[in-house]
Amino acid sequence: MKTKILPFVGVFLAAMPDIARACSVCFADSDDAVSQAFNWSIAFLMAAPYAVVGSIGGSLFYFYRRAAVKRERAKDAAKPVIELSWHQEENGR
Amino acid sequence: MLKSSAARKFDETTSATEIRRPGFGGGDRPPPVQPNAPVLNNAHLAVLMLLGAEVMFFAGLIGAFLVFRLSASVWPPPFQPRLPTGVTGVNTAILLASAVTMHLSVRNARAGAIAALVRQLTMTALLGAVFLVVQGYEWVRLIHFGLTASSSVYGGMFYALIGAHGAHVFGGLIWLFVVWIQARRRRFSKSGYAGVQTAAMYWTFVVALWPVLYGLVYLY
Repeated sequence: MKTKILPFVGVFLAAMPDIARACSVCFADSDDAVSQAFNWSIAFLMAAPYAVVGSIGGSLFYFYRRAAVKRERAKDAAKPVIELSWHQEENGR
Repeated sequence: MLKSSAARKFDETTSATEIRRPGFGGGDRPPPVQPNAPVLNNAHLAVLMLLGAEVMFFAGLIGAFLVFRLSASVWPPPFQPRLPTGVTGVNTAILLASAVTMHLSVRNARAGAIAALVRQLTMTALLGAVFLVVQGYEWVRLIHFGLTASSSVYGGMFYALIGAHGAHVFGGLIWLFVVWIQARRRRFSKSGYAGVQTAAMYWTFVVALWPVLYGLVYLY
């Protein structure tokens, strides 16, 4: 019974766009200056965390890559010019 | 020759060309020793987190300012004193100059030039103090002309935004003073100057934020 009624309820709600779009905190028209100001402010505040986390993440990635390059250079510099080895025959014993 | 001599006996199973590595009993070369240092200094990471939080704090204030600024048909509102854009422009240049001296102090710390480091830190703090004094003087004049935090939304937002920045500059001056004392006591060296770097990170944030606020509040 419920599965038969639900599609009708859905179509009924979709056919009444004014009720479906009602917002409990809307107080002005969508093209009012106040609404536009709020939209811009909300967009700015939504973008801010992405900018902050992106900057911090980018900085960490940059420092990690710089440290990796430094480690590679230190490894290359630590390679011995001559490989020392110990042969029994060479020590004279 | 006695057979029971004390001469060392050869292990004939070892070939002549086999290389014996002392101390490890054979096998591959041991891996190179890697320094156990973090990729990023802990102090730098901590200040980065602090700056992220401060950016979000100012983003909230700027968002509130944008609502009032963009929804107003006339800005600044009528019957409100006009802001001193000229004097504050010069003040902006003074604060930007303090960022240059702060950068120079980090360079001196990296080079181990402690006397020059102390000099540049002194210049930075002086320039920051001049900025605050000029801002304070202008505030007194604005209050005298009737722009207070309760006079209008314009006044309230002005003092909230600029006052928050001023409080951060004051906190930065205290931080610089502590670093200055440590520098005079020769606590920093070529290999250890994280204190100077972290102070520079915070001061750079405070200085870089000011042109944004000046443009939004004074000019826009």
